[in-house]
Amino acid sequence: MSQSEKSTTPPSSRNIIIASAVAFVVALLVLFTTILPAEFGVDPLGTGELLGLTALSRESPLEEQLEGHRQDYAEFELGPFQSVEYKYLMDFDAPMVFSWSADADLYYDMHAEPAGLGEEYAESFEQGNAASKSGSYHAPFAGIHGWFWENRGSRTVLLRIYAAGFIQTSTVFRDGGDYERAIDPVLE
Amino acid sequence: MNSGSAVRWLSALALLLVSGAALAHTIEGSDASFVQAIDGPAVFPFMYLGAKHMVTGYDHLLFLVGVIFFLYRPTHVVQYVTLFAIGHSITLLLGVLANLQVNAYLIDAIIGLSIVYKAFENMDGFKQLVGFELNTRVAVFVFGLFHGLGLATKLQEFNLSNNGLVTNIISFNIGVEIGQVLALSTVFIALSVWRTSTSYLRHAFITNAALMCGGFLLAGFQLGAYFAQPPY
Repeated sequence: MSQSEKSTTPPSSRNIIIASAVAFVVALLVLFTTILPAEFGVDPLGTGELLGLTALSRESPLEEQLEGHRQDYAEFELGPFQSVEYKYLMDFDAPMVFSWSADADLYYDMHAEPAGLGEEYAESFEQGNAASKSGSYHAPFAGIHGWFWENRGSRTVLLRIYAAGFIQTSTVFRDGGDYERAIDPVLE
Repeated sequence: MNSGSAVRWLSALALLLVSGAALAHTIEGSDASFVQAIDGPAVFPFMYLGAKHMVTGYDHLLFLVGVIFFLYRPTHVVQYVTLFAIGHSITLLLGVLANLQVNAYLIDAIIGLSIVYKAFENMDGFKQLVGFELNTRVAVFVFGLFHGLGLATKLQEFNLSNNGLVTNIISFNIGVEIGQVLALSTVFIALSVWRTSTSYLRHAFITNAALMCGGFLLAGFQLGAYFAQPPY
């Protein structure tokens, strides 16, 4: 490469060896004292415990919740061009698993509205036409979370919804009105 | 503050970030769920992801800093970077299309060592200690192959849909080149400013030693991740 453009004399072999060795030892020190304990919980020198770094690597698949989960079943009959909206009150980060199924294709829109902010702040996650869907959901904010379904066919369709998780109450929006349904936790 | 000390502060800061954060360099979060959900060609999203991967990928960036450290002419920069780009394009495309399964951590460890190699060469290590120098053009090309294999393994961690696969990889690759040009221009301008000060050659040796340290650190981090993998 363009070595000719370097105007200074080349460094001595001694300096190159020292600098490379220092680079290696510094990297090794940082690796063993901080990175291995913090990232992988490997703490051969005990420095991770001393500096409180090992806590960073304890990533648990378990998320504890304060109260028992709830499970819910609901069904709706949708005549031609009828629609319904069904939503669960959930806290930020609360998990839910769900399946819904209908005996013909429905237009659906899975969405959520942040608590106290109303429809204009609604966020939609998926829309489409399907006869069934299932999934898991982590509430991105506190508020009401659920679906809008519309029967765009010419015959009456039966829709069934199963859900379980840290859902609190459900609200049905239908025919211009809405009503709330209480859901009891599986354990009091 | 003169430009020399400004750049020194910046490089010290960069080094701190590298040693402090040492995040695994993968495609994460909403980008990951996007890549997994996509079915069909999506030119601009994949271009964006490619560019983002390059601009935020300090393993690739540190290597390129090493490569252009003593390149004073833009034409030389273009030459070397083109060799690097050809190298990583070949393995990125072939790797994904041929479904080559290579362990991402080991590839990333080699990428870390590529930084060590370039820094050692910049420190005249090969000339003074080994007695011969590898052809740097060939070396940059070969390490380009490894960097591409790294990119390919990152993309393959997701079950990419076959629908629009070629379009999407080529878009990703174009994005990588765009990101590389953006990042390189910044680095080249910063180095050019620093070169106007006499501190450049005085601190070139120590800067490359720091670069080497960063390379060792990245390699060590990736090897740590390799051995910390669950055994299944």
